[in-house]
Amino acid sequence: MRLGAVLALLAAPLTAQSVQSRLEGRIPTDAVPVVDSLVQVALHEGLPSEPLVQKALEGGAKQVPGPRIVAAVRASLGQLRDARDLLVRAGDQPPVRAGEVTTVAWALRRKLPPSTVERVVAQLPHPPRGPAIHAIADLVAHDFDPDSAAGLIIDAVHDGLQRDRLLDVSTAALHEVQRGRTRDEAITVVRQQLPNVPAPPKPERGTVTRARRPDTPTPP
Amino acid sequence: MDVNGAPSDAEIVARVLGGDTEAFGFVIRRYEAGLLRFATRMLGSRDAAADAVAEGLVRAYRHLASCREPARLRTWLYRIVTNRCKSHLARRSVGDVPLDEAPPLADPADGEAALERAEQLALVQRALTGLSPDKREAFVLKHVEGLSYEEMAAITGERIPTLKMRVHRAREALLKVLEEET
Amino acid sequence: MNTTDPRIHQVLDGELSIDALPAELRHALESVSAAADLLVAPVPGPSLESRIMAEVRRPASSYLRRVASWLATPHAITFRVRPVWSLAFAAAAAAFTLFFARDAGPQLGEHEGIAQFVGRFPDARSVHVVGTFNDWRPGTIALEDLDHDGVWTATVVLPTGTYEYMFVVDGERWVPDHLADRLVADDFGRENSVVIVRPVHR
Repeated sequence: MRLGAVLALLAAPLTAQSVQSRLEGRIPTDAVPVVDSLVQVALHEGLPSEPLVQKALEGGAKQVPGPRIVAAVRASLGQLRDARDLLVRAGDQPPVRAGEVTTVAWALRRKLPPSTVERVVAQLPHPPRGPAIHAIADLVAHDFDPDSAAGLIIDAVHDGLQRDRLLDVSTAALHEVQRGRTRDEAITVVRQQLPNVPAPPKPERGTVTRARRPDTPTPP
Repeated sequence: MDVNGAPSDAEIVARVLGGDTEAFGFVIRRYEAGLLRFATRMLGSRDAAADAVAEGLVRAYRHLASCREPARLRTWLYRIVTNRCKSHLARRSVGDVPLDEAPPLADPADGEAALERAEQLALVQRALTGLSPDKREAFVLKHVEGLSYEEMAAITGERIPTLKMRVHRAREALLKVLEEET
Repeated sequence: MNTTDPRIHQVLDGELSIDALPAELRHALESVSAAADLLVAPVPGPSLESRIMAEVRRPASSYLRRVASWLATPHAITFRVRPVWSLAFAAAAAAFTLFFARDAGPQLGEHEGIAQFVGRFPDARSVHVVGTFNDWRPGTIALEDLDHDGVWTATVVLPTGTYEYMFVVDGERWVPDHLADRLVADDFGRENSVVIVRPVHR
């Protein structure tokens, strides 16, 4: 695949194409109007609709029967609603940002406890919170205690780390576990390093393949 | 260098970190067989084990700088491959590759004894596969890889009493299965 | 058997001499030892060294690295010129680099990053990556195995963000990325791999 060719393949914004035209031929015919109506409901409620379209397209590509696609899209709508409600409960003023709803829905799919997500949202009032949420989810996926993981990332934000640098914090903690520390010790060690956790290699063009390989926060 | 003139693990790690990528071949040759055996016993499939070991060693190479105790490289590598095996086990239900639970049978040309041994190995491997991953891991590290409980603790992150308990339970479960099948 | 005599464990753990074990308990001890002996046998099969070393060396052979080497490495142009010509050569080199940079690949924007997808599929005839970055449209982003070692790769520019994806092998087999660090249930009974694309320009 030539570099850049992908850019031309990226999905056009929803506003530029009707949902139906994106779905037709990609999912079973009888599922199209149902998915379309669920997308319209999301738009009406001020929720992001692209995740629903993507879920339908994914089901179609995987040749899942129509009823299962509809069920998955409906479940996604439910997750987006849950995410919006959580954000409001945590203090965000409606209408909440679509990006934040998507992020929180994603966190819930990654099995982060809602109470942890709510705490993070409340303590990090300024979006975007995506990297923070992902960093915590990465730690929890490796058996870190959710509250301890959230505490570390929140501390990192308070120490001045922002956006993708927060992913370096979770990576550093996972590396400490790799080195034989317990998870509690890893959090203590990384907290002491804040805000000077190692960054991934600077992506010089000559080493871009290695540097841009998705960062690997898991034990290698 | 050791008495045979082979570079020590610490020397190899230093060479690789110094830019000598090819020196990583020493690491592979030194530990591949043990890691592959461990992963095969864990996953019940040589192919899945080869994937886990290959992924683990590639990751080990990429994160070699984070190996703080190069002299304990072996323990570190087992830890990484253990994690890869767990990932494979977690994904088994959704993975595309069905795992062959029994090791390949011996070629009949190998003779009666080899055939019988292969059948016994298949029986034991099946019994092993029936254990929970935690017990299987503990049993294999202890009795197949011959590690001490201290080394096992360093690899798994578990406490020694926990590991002992798992090994004991694994032995009991294996004995039960083997007695039923023989 | 509900419990095993603790002395068997003690012997196997090296805490008790085998001589201290009554004869009637030795059968269980021998069973465990025999099972372990069988499992200790080496696993036959080809060495993984070439496969692993190919992956370890891979950055040197990637498309992007070759392009970047062409553009970013001074080569002889910078270092072999005579001092009197250095300015002219530097200007020429800059023009050369800029000219080819436009043709060789995109200039990455502030909100763009690079994702590399890697998978080992030794017998595959084709491998594609499909995900939320291409509307789950099979057949649009192909991985390549230029040196036919079974390791398929693709390097793609994507807007920064979080994407779910899977590999499609030979146009029909959906396979998760075993090297991915993040997985999430796909609501269809399987799991998608997840990649977070970070901006190249920080």
